[in-house]
Amino acid sequence: MKYRALAVAAVLFAVSLAAGTAMRALYEPRFPPLAELQGGAFAFQDASLAAAGFRAPAADLAWIQLLQYAAGSLPEYVDAPGKGYEHLAKLSLRVARLDPSFNRAVLFGAGILAWFHGVDRPDEAAELLRDGMRMSPDQKLYPLYIAALAYKKKGDSDRMIALLESSFDQPETPSTMKAILANLRQSRGELKEALVLWIRILENERDASEHGRARAKIVELRAALRGRQGKKQVDGRKHQ
Amino acid sequence: MQTISAVFTYTFKEHVRHKAWLSSALFGFILLGGALVISALGADERPRLMLDLGLAGIEAITLVSIVFLTVNLILQEIESRAIYLILTHPVRRSDYLLGRFLGTLAAAALGMAIMAALHLVLLGLYGWWEPGRYLAALLCTLGKAGVMGSLALLLSLALTSEAAAMAFSVFFWMLGHFSSEMRFLADRSGSAFIKTAIVAFSHAAPDFAHFNYRDFWHATAPGAQWLMWAGVYAVAYAGACLALSVQLFEQKEF
Repeated sequence: MKYRALAVAAVLFAVSLAAGTAMRALYEPRFPPLAELQGGAFAFQDASLAAAGFRAPAADLAWIQLLQYAAGSLPEYVDAPGKGYEHLAKLSLRVARLDPSFNRAVLFGAGILAWFHGVDRPDEAAELLRDGMRMSPDQKLYPLYIAALAYKKKGDSDRMIALLESSFDQPETPSTMKAILANLRQSRGELKEALVLWIRILENERDASEHGRARAKIVELRAALRGRQGKKQVDGRKHQ
Repeated sequence: MQTISAVFTYTFKEHVRHKAWLSSALFGFILLGGALVISALGADERPRLMLDLGLAGIEAITLVSIVFLTVNLILQEIESRAIYLILTHPVRRSDYLLGRFLGTLAAAALGMAIMAALHLVLLGLYGWWEPGRYLAALLCTLGKAGVMGSLALLLSLALTSEAAAMAFSVFFWMLGHFSSEMRFLADRSGSAFIKTAIVAFSHAAPDFAHFNYRDFWHATAPGAQWLMWAGVYAVAYAGACLALSVQLFEQKEF
């Protein structure tokens, strides 16, 4: 009688052990171990948040810092002269290691490294995508981007763009990647296709960060198309 | 049952009227406002950031308040000698302890519910609406709070020092999130003895790493069966800690 509570505790603890085993058998979170978290300026921030059980919020903060870095306003990571985005892959991977389901960070980093004007580092982008694929093997956009990179290396821009455009409406596709695609179309002189892409960006609420640029681009492209049409008409009259 | 209900009501009212509870609820609202501001920096991922940071804020406030409240729950009454007066009545110590704990958990749950309602309204404004999964995440947070509260109560009775009980509670909180790491270490360990010791320790410590539903749902979230087992785990683990607390409390001489 004296130790009744102790006996109850032992029974309940055994039940909790059985329930814990069943819980773990049904679902095992796919987070990389803490040992895989990156060192560097934000190591303490990442480790303390992850240790306190806030991995997703830690990844969110890392994502904000990645965006700040991409915008050139992260004092902890400043690029050496002539080496633009040298820390981009590392910072993108940092987000994915905190939360592998944050696929957009890897796609964002790879998109800039491979297709952003003046960067052109497809090997680094492919490496980043492979790391992302290792952590999140179910994500279909990683192999798609790797295939698009292979077309880029072969110089087959048509198939590369077609492949990337097939993922345009996927929710994981970063807005920056959509803007890069629209700019790629424009740089190839495909103004109509570029205009359509910018309109699709403007119509998508998730791409709100690119809406300002989309509005300006739509005005610019419509003017350019009108100019081109006018030129065609003049040329046509000349021929007549 | 009547005693438990009476103690529960008295404890619940006591906490809700307490400045600490009100200020923690206020702080929770500030954190939700912070989540709204910070998420604006997240560009395409604003709804995700609002969801994660808001739920993290709710969990942090709930845990801080439940640890603070349960650590002081009995110790303060012993210090102020109010417990002598209560125990002169025909109240079983186990009923008293259970009523006090459930009242505290209910007060924490009420705070959580108020913060969650505001959070859901904010999320709704940004087009996010998945109340079923949101409720599952909240229940997991409540489960964590229940386990943590019962553990903090046990520690406060075992250590009889508020500071030590709070420090150990934080330690167990951290340890609970290292359960996967401990198993990872056990896998890497060459010694069978160390491996067994680590595995045993990882099972004895509360397993919070498997309780973070709010961290899982961006990937494939666990199903209803998992939630059921998680509920059984939380209730059984908290119950075991409460039973141990009752054992300690019954052995105390006042």
